[in-house]
Amino acid sequence: MTSDQERLIAEFVEKGLAGDMDSINAIEDRALRGKVKSALVKAKRSGAVAKESKEDTKIPEKENQQDKQAEQSIDEKIKKMIEEQFPDTLIENSDSDHIQIKPEKWYDIANWLKSDSSLLFDSLQCQMGIDIGDDMLESRYNLHSMELDHYIEVRIAVHRSNPKIPSVEQIWRIADWFERETYDMLGIEYTGHRDLRRILLPDDWEGWPLRKDYQVQETYHGIVVPKMKEGWE
Amino acid sequence: MGVVHGEEMVLNIGPQHPATHGVLRLQVRTDGEVVSQITPYMGYLHRCFEKHSENVTYEQVIPFTDRCDYLSSMSMNFGYVVAMERLMEIKVNDRVEHIRVVMAELQRIASHLLCTGVFGLDLGAFTPFLWALRDRERILDLFELTCGARLLYNYMWVGGLSHDIPVGFVESTFEFLDYFEPKVDELENILAHNKILVERSADIGVMPKDVAISYGVTGPNLRASGVKWDLRKNDPYSIYDRFEFDVPIGEGQKGTVGDCWDRFYVRIIEIRESVKIIRQALASMPKEGDVHQSLPKKIRPPKGSVYARTETPRGDLGYYIESDGSPIPYRVKMRSPAFTALSVLDEIGAGWLLSDVLAILGSLDIVLGEIDR
Repeated sequence: MTSDQERLIAEFVEKGLAGDMDSINAIEDRALRGKVKSALVKAKRSGAVAKESKEDTKIPEKENQQDKQAEQSIDEKIKKMIEEQFPDTLIENSDSDHIQIKPEKWYDIANWLKSDSSLLFDSLQCQMGIDIGDDMLESRYNLHSMELDHYIEVRIAVHRSNPKIPSVEQIWRIADWFERETYDMLGIEYTGHRDLRRILLPDDWEGWPLRKDYQVQETYHGIVVPKMKEGWE
Repeated sequence: MGVVHGEEMVLNIGPQHPATHGVLRLQVRTDGEVVSQITPYMGYLHRCFEKHSENVTYEQVIPFTDRCDYLSSMSMNFGYVVAMERLMEIKVNDRVEHIRVVMAELQRIASHLLCTGVFGLDLGAFTPFLWALRDRERILDLFELTCGARLLYNYMWVGGLSHDIPVGFVESTFEFLDYFEPKVDELENILAHNKILVERSADIGVMPKDVAISYGVTGPNLRASGVKWDLRKNDPYSIYDRFEFDVPIGEGQKGTVGDCWDRFYVRIIEIRESVKIIRQALASMPKEGDVHQSLPKKIRPPKGSVYARTETPRGDLGYYIESDGSPIPYRVKMRSPAFTALSVLDEIGAGWLLSDVLAILGSLDIVLGEIDR
């Protein structure tokens, strides 16, 4: 490591300690960014051991405040809030266990779900795609807040002819691979995804296997693709 | 003065390479020995689990779950049956719950033993690997005693178990635990405080809390980053709320919180916690109870969906099951913990030396069967 780089890292660590994480995240060089982040963690660790132990004890108190009642109505609460902030995106549904929205403003809603102080959905537990029939594909997101400990499920349905949903991979980084998998299996295109490639199947595989009308191809590079067998042999 | 770059080189590690723990290809961009970018390519072990599930009945999915994570098949079975029982609102009796917990925790020990042993192997320590496998062998013997299989059990069924535990199982398990507890200390002594291993793993591949959460990293990897999160405590399923155990988190004993050493050490402590749980479960296990009591005659769940999570040795395993009311699942999605753990590799692995990247990969404890499904 050159002394130049060391000075640069020290500068960024100081910024980070002052709470300015944006400038660190904006560092172009990945290797440097990694080094800065690890240095920052070390600095925080040595400087703020006492502070951290205090924080740890705070978290359970917060959880106690959250009643079970609040958890039950979180769906309704969020539906109301979405109605106010993002008019014309919510689709009314009779089931109370999920939130159905239109795809257009999904990125903004996701951003808000993560950053709003009363929601704080910081973890995307699961993202899955499903062919729900009637030429519709659906993308479902199971969100969870580590801090406030509540869950919601968001569903976005799109038509097969134009299966486009805004990508949220920059909000929850794990969505990067989850969305690639859903794209791979169902052909839902996530607009704004920076690296939308097939993930489990070969790049030149034809068709979207988890759509209900999928036909297995006869051969792949001259190899016969075995068909699903009927009954036992 | 601009930055002087050496000649960059793109290297392929794998798909057939012992350090990738399976068939995984890592394309790494290196500048000298420093890795600047890691692109994992997987799918070599893709067996179409989700597609197959849509063509077989609910009970026939269970053997497929075995084969996803072949190092902790019991936990994979467990996750699926927990999801199915939540969907069908089946309540199983206490004896079944106790046996399930014992099996899942034995499996956790077996899986962690392999992980810690192999982590040592990745860093050049051969002896601990053999010690770990020696003790794992005895756990596999216990499983063999129970259901006849050593790796792929198909043991937990929706609403019950395939067999009751055999006569003498409880005694042999206690005997094993008595034998095993001192061996954990031995394993810890030879590995955890070994100077070479500490030098190779402390302060390497630090994963900060926010990165871990954003990347959906769970299980021991998340706990090593200092987040006290364990589904057995935070969202108890089965009967985990009846047992006393601690949730170990990374403390940065040898370096920074969330480094490779922490990830490795959290697993060693978890082995001890699992031993505690097994002892309690065996002691409180009811003598009476038919393991086939709640087996449904026909598995035909009502229309609807369920997302259930359980804590496997590798983290949160989620099953999303969509049912249309027929005996064949409409859609089964497995949210695999190793999949999310591998996705963070580029973020925490870039900037380290090539040999450190392999240490980081080893510390994440991935199983390719579960990633590719």
